[in-house]
Amino acid sequence: MSERSEHEHLFREAMRRELAQGRIDRREFLSRSLVAGLGAAGVGAVAKSGVQPAFAADSRPLTPTFYQWIQDLHPAIPEVNKRFPGINYQIAPTEGFGIERFVAEAKNKESTWDVYVGQTPFVEMSAFIKAGVIEPWDNYIPKEVIDDIIPSIRAECTVDGKLYSWPFLLDVIGSAWHSGITSKAGVPDTAPATWDDFLAGAKTIVDKKAAPWGATFDSHGWRSLVPVTHSMSTKVYTPDGLFEFTSEPAIEALKLMKEIMAYANPDILLEGATDAGVNGTPDEVAFAAQRVGLYFKYFNAPLRMAASWDDPKLLHLGPLPKFKNGEGSTVFWTTGCALFKYGQNKEKAAEYIKALTYDPQIWKDSIVGTPGVHPGQLPPYKSIYAAWDAKKPDWMPPFVALVRSQLDRAKAIDNNLFGLQQFVIGKPIWETYLKGQEPDPKVAMTKVQEAVQAEIKKG
Amino acid sequence: MAQAILDSETDLSARAGRDPVEHMRRGLGDWLFLAPALIFFVGYQVWPIVRVVWLSFTNFQFLSSKPAQWVGFANYAQALQDPLMWASLGRAALFTAMFLPGTIILPLLLAILVDRVANQRLATLYRVILLIPAVIPSTLVFVLWKWMYNYQSGPINHLLVNTFGLFTLQNAPQWLGGTALTLPAIAIMEVWWGLGYHTIFFIAGLAAIPKELPDAARIDGAGEWQVFWHVTRPQLAPIMMILIVLRFGSAMAVIDEYLIFGGFNRASPTYTWTMFMYDQAFHTGLWRQGYAAAIGMIGATAMMFVMAGLIWIFRPKG
Repeated sequence: MSERSEHEHLFREAMRRELAQGRIDRREFLSRSLVAGLGAAGVGAVAKSGVQPAFAADSRPLTPTFYQWIQDLHPAIPEVNKRFPGINYQIAPTEGFGIERFVAEAKNKESTWDVYVGQTPFVEMSAFIKAGVIEPWDNYIPKEVIDDIIPSIRAECTVDGKLYSWPFLLDVIGSAWHSGITSKAGVPDTAPATWDDFLAGAKTIVDKKAAPWGATFDSHGWRSLVPVTHSMSTKVYTPDGLFEFTSEPAIEALKLMKEIMAYANPDILLEGATDAGVNGTPDEVAFAAQRVGLYFKYFNAPLRMAASWDDPKLLHLGPLPKFKNGEGSTVFWTTGCALFKYGQNKEKAAEYIKALTYDPQIWKDSIVGTPGVHPGQLPPYKSIYAAWDAKKPDWMPPFVALVRSQLDRAKAIDNNLFGLQQFVIGKPIWETYLKGQEPDPKVAMTKVQEAVQAEIKKG
Repeated sequence: MAQAILDSETDLSARAGRDPVEHMRRGLGDWLFLAPALIFFVGYQVWPIVRVVWLSFTNFQFLSSKPAQWVGFANYAQALQDPLMWASLGRAALFTAMFLPGTIILPLLLAILVDRVANQRLATLYRVILLIPAVIPSTLVFVLWKWMYNYQSGPINHLLVNTFGLFTLQNAPQWLGGTALTLPAIAIMEVWWGLGYHTIFFIAGLAAIPKELPDAARIDGAGEWQVFWHVTRPQLAPIMMILIVLRFGSAMAVIDEYLIFGGFNRASPTYTWTMFMYDQAFHTGLWRQGYAAAIGMIGATAMMFVMAGLIWIFRPKG
């Protein structure tokens, strides 16, 4: 390529990006192309790259929208907003994870908002992509930020090589225990290394009447079946990204869940109290009421529940137990930011999300807690952990290093249109085994697999 | 005189009929007056129904960019072959059967009792107290009853376990969250919520019954039960029919309560045809709204047939 044509190419690409980002309109693009002597070449570049209709200019201030709980758990967000004068900060209309408003707007090639903070990749990212609601961040996120994302998290947020979710809040599933209860029962005050240890501890708590119940968990599949399965093996996904319910690790996980249930709160399988049964679950009520000794869930759950204890210092956290000879992995997911395809202010949105996700006060508050709130959610960036390792802040609790170490072995649930739904469809079916209605776990899981496949075939 | 007026009107009509301009002018005027109501009725009532009917004959998927294609009765055939369709309709019918008697019988008894209170101030106080639940916002009602029914920390189980010792923490009733008790628990909440509202209907009906009727019956030697059965009840029949039909419709089509108390667990008694429809339209796969529309049309058609039967059964006789 000659020097002149190389310059032309670079200039053309720069303009094409500006057009794609909505910073210039088509008229401006054509004018500049003609002035630069590109003419049809410039137009050809647009035609080839299939640029979407661009907005003439940003006609409104940066308009992010947040899922309500994120604002509730992270009170420092308004402080970040102050660094962006004129920002139109809003709460998303997403009660119960509903995304219909976003989809409906995208169908009309419009968006009230520029960026949505509240996207969990395995829950709704595939639907967003399929419906053309969001676009990748790759054109806007600085390269150093992409490189800074922990690799497993980057993989979680990436589809077809493109980053569709800018990760923000990290949740990892691990174990927790009430040391007041375990001590009373004479159970060692250490994290149970294996599921056998976990079960033995739960039995001892019940036998010694240290608490009404020995152990509990959240019965939603992605919070119990999947992490327990991952603790044996993470190779339980089809090439399409669906969970293999009939795999040996999944069946062993189901059997273990039934064994734990013998020492658990009897309402363990009931739906929760909020978000269409997904949150406010019975395990949380039991743990908050100090009626159960051992627990496994994403760490912010025990942290939040222990805040209501007489002595929250009795809470201890550890890695998820593993099966003997198991892989010892667990599950994590991030709650991230989605860039609306038909939004505006895309570069500004990237600046804002970068400021938000690197904000030290948000992370300190999240880890240490503020009055009445203790999310315990962690950052997705290598550099933040490296800085903490280099100079450990005096407020840093041990669970952060624990979560970080777990993350190297943890795996996210694969992205698929049925990423979450497969567990919603399957839950009542695998529960026939947990309730004793179906004696064979393999039969129950085969029925789950068939039900999920039948639903997928419907479209 | 009357004959003269009649002749004059006949003459005017005949002339208007002969004069096409005058006929059109009068017709246009009629349509102008009718237009606001007609536009509202067609745009707000007819069009959405037509749109849903059309959707039910297509393979429209909300998350897909492909245009909807006409599939005839395929969605209906698939829905009718789906065991979940029948199970979910049955669950809605079961809830209605639990809810409807409490919506009619209890308010009727209460209305008769309140109607007999001679002290006007006391009667007004009773009516106000009865109406309190009806004015509480739904969110607050759901939060209140969720707490009441909570397995571990609700006051109902606290009474059953700690106060009366009828159960232990291991076997206390699991009221909500998809158990067999969930539908009766929701029905109790709904009856409580609507008690005052429905009672007021019957109080209004009782006030409209001429006092001479029961008095005459009593003079003729009728007892209180005979007065109620042969005088009061027939007089309240129109109100009863309206309440039964309206409440049948709302009970069969409940969705908010099921979303909140049961979630999307397909085995839960709260997963009725409305939940099935919502799940297909806004949660599952590519959001098959054509299929969801067919589920909705099947449910609505079944309801209409039963409603027609109820209107016929409970029609005021005589």
